[in-house]
Amino acid sequence: MAADGIATSPRPASRLRMGRLWYRVKGSPLTLIGTAIALLVLFVIMAAPLLAPYPPDKISLSARLAAPSLQHLFGTDEVGRDLFSRVLFGARASCGIAFAIVIISTVIGSIIGCLSGVVGGIVDTAIMRLMDVFLALPALILAMALAAALGPSLFNAMLAVAVVRVPAYVRLARGQTLSLRNRTYVKASRSFGASPAYMLRWHILPNALSPIIVQATLDLGGTILTAAALSFIGLGAQPPTSEWGSMVSSGRNYFLDQWWYVTFPGLAILISAMGFNLLGDGLRDMLDPRLGGR
Amino acid sequence: MMLLRRLPTFAAFAALTAFTFAGPSWATDKDVLVIDKAEDPPTADPGVEVSNNGYTLIFPAYERLVKYDGAKTEVIPELAESWTTAPDNLSWTFKLASGHMFDDGSPVDAAAVKYSFDRVKKLAAGPGDMFPTVKDVVVVDPQTVKFELSAPFAPFLSALATSAGSIINPKAQEHAVNGDDAKAWLAEHSAGSGAFKISAWERNQQITLDPNPHYAGKAPAFKQVIFKIVREMSSRRLQLENGDADLIDQVPVDQAEAMKSSAGVVIESNPSLYVVYLYLNNKKAPFDNPKVRQAISYAADYKGLVDGVMQGQAEQMRGAVPDGMWGHDPQGMQYSYDLEKAKQLLADAGVSNLHISFTYSQADSAWEPVGLALQASLAEIGVTMDMKNVADTTKRELVAKGDYDIATGAWTPDFADPFMFMNIWFDPTKMGAPGNRAFYENPKVTDLITQALATVDQKKREQLYIDAQKITNEDAPYVLLFQKNDIFAMRSSVKGYVYNPMLIQVYNIADMSKSE
Repeated sequence: MAADGIATSPRPASRLRMGRLWYRVKGSPLTLIGTAIALLVLFVIMAAPLLAPYPPDKISLSARLAAPSLQHLFGTDEVGRDLFSRVLFGARASCGIAFAIVIISTVIGSIIGCLSGVVGGIVDTAIMRLMDVFLALPALILAMALAAALGPSLFNAMLAVAVVRVPAYVRLARGQTLSLRNRTYVKASRSFGASPAYMLRWHILPNALSPIIVQATLDLGGTILTAAALSFIGLGAQPPTSEWGSMVSSGRNYFLDQWWYVTFPGLAILISAMGFNLLGDGLRDMLDPRLGGR
Repeated sequence: MMLLRRLPTFAAFAALTAFTFAGPSWATDKDVLVIDKAEDPPTADPGVEVSNNGYTLIFPAYERLVKYDGAKTEVIPELAESWTTAPDNLSWTFKLASGHMFDDGSPVDAAAVKYSFDRVKKLAAGPGDMFPTVKDVVVVDPQTVKFELSAPFAPFLSALATSAGSIINPKAQEHAVNGDDAKAWLAEHSAGSGAFKISAWERNQQITLDPNPHYAGKAPAFKQVIFKIVREMSSRRLQLENGDADLIDQVPVDQAEAMKSSAGVVIESNPSLYVVYLYLNNKKAPFDNPKVRQAISYAADYKGLVDGVMQGQAEQMRGAVPDGMWGHDPQGMQYSYDLEKAKQLLADAGVSNLHISFTYSQADSAWEPVGLALQASLAEIGVTMDMKNVADTTKRELVAKGDYDIATGAWTPDFADPFMFMNIWFDPTKMGAPGNRAFYENPKVTDLITQALATVDQKKREQLYIDAQKITNEDAPYVLLFQKNDIFAMRSSVKGYVYNPMLIQVYNIADMSKSE
């Protein structure tokens, strides 16, 4: 649907789109901000060890709950760990895990969705009803149940959230496939005897990709929040791993006297989730031809 | 028309305002006391309960034969007006005071005393350990009761003043189902002769106590005492500072410092025999090797914990019996923070690449920092330690089953006798929930503490306990961290609280009042 009018054949169109994309990003300040935040987060994830003044798990019981100062930009926590370093390293756990979740669920979701659309029939019905079951439950509750069943750890939390996110991509990819299936070029290739796998690889997937990428970017913000929520209730990152959600969780016992403990990890969650949402919103607006490339 | 249409809005607004203003006002009522507790008491059954959190309810709801004299650890008469003991210390006879009545108006008599002690013994759930040698309780006449002991038990009189010695109305037995001796019913109700009775209990919400109309003592100042379960420390603190609560328990030391400056709030910080320690699972490798246990003891940063986490309001333990109780050994051996030694001990024990877990809950605010500090120290000597944060009830279950590596503990004595530490922590018959949570067994220690239990002379007992501590310090079944102050906070309008180190988390609400 979204590819209408632009994508008559898969390959050249994608290059064309990238060129236009940057042109449009420049015209939308909110998208620019979102892009900047996303790039900043990526930079922090990669450069955390270079930027952090202290090792994130370095305990110093004599310097506990110190207020922000030049020595400790964000102050220290209840065992004297430097919060600035922990927030930087926390980007790896919090955003890194969000990237992983989105990539896992996007890949799995779009493959299942495209297959379901191409194969059709009883397989399609079975897959879609299963996805309906997943969608019937609130995402966070389902993720909590899964994470609790798997046992509390960062990896299990990641799996749980990824599983919960899959159905949205399945539905999206299947919708795309159903509309693409009836395009002339797809029908033509089928009449030449192309196998479903070939069609999937060369015609369906490339053309269904752009709405999926938009959805994935939009999801990043929400995923950061879900992952932080799981860590907040103790089902995600385990100590001493620094993760924003679990930092807010342990900091809440101190927020009346030590405002900095919850504030900085909280701000980190807020800003990064907002950044990815802005970026996702912008991308959606730009890639949606119905909005005329605003 | 206009008015009619607006009526619902107005009514909603009025209801809202009424609700908002009605809410706090009960706390400021002179005859209602509101106490915020961090955790719901497990039960209020004197035959089962071993936590101070439960004692909060049991002490005001029941009377005992004797009670602690105010702030002192000596006992004075409560239900008993006098008592005599045979020269061999094997039988004790108590004369009951007249006029004491249960909350249904029936008198407290010798049969009730017998019922209560027989029940504790039959349930064998922990409180029974307070009277290890009581053989039989005999009703001599309705006002006289005789205890027969199989061996002399030096702290017997003090033990009678504990929660386990509470006298229960035999009519409670009517609530027994499936031969549980009314355990289910008494868990959330009371049947005592104390100043108050439990009138309502909403699990994890609140507990309401009403005065017992038949109470023999002076009628309490409060017409109602409400315990609200408020888990978040920040919420408890805000409620106290806003006057929505009169007293809050479990105040961490750093918040206490900050709260001192808020108007109308008084911090009660009293030196106590409350100790914070770690259980090492002696039954499970690698902690079945004393060298590994010693290594862990050398890996705890005692000074950092005391000065940093406890802000100096604690002192490192020296042996199992805390400072301030007889039986404490001022020359006892203390472990220090020495990672080199710890590393060497692990090498001697022949273990490497240790991967262990640390099970804790949020019931004590010091446990998490203790774990984080230990985790960091152990990481330096190549030991990986996972932190397992679980609900407090889950932690208790895991410890009772021995399903842990290292777990956190806190202990406070119910009577002023080293028995409360030595005979409970190290007795191999009390493994698991009753108190030997490290599953420790050393025949030499068992012998010394059993001998100490049967001895009457305090000097001799003290020596036996000190000898036993010399061995247990070396064996290191527990990591002995620190003893700390008991800290809670209340409104300055609350008068009459008396602190007794044997009654942590027990508030003498029958004698307390509010001044405004």
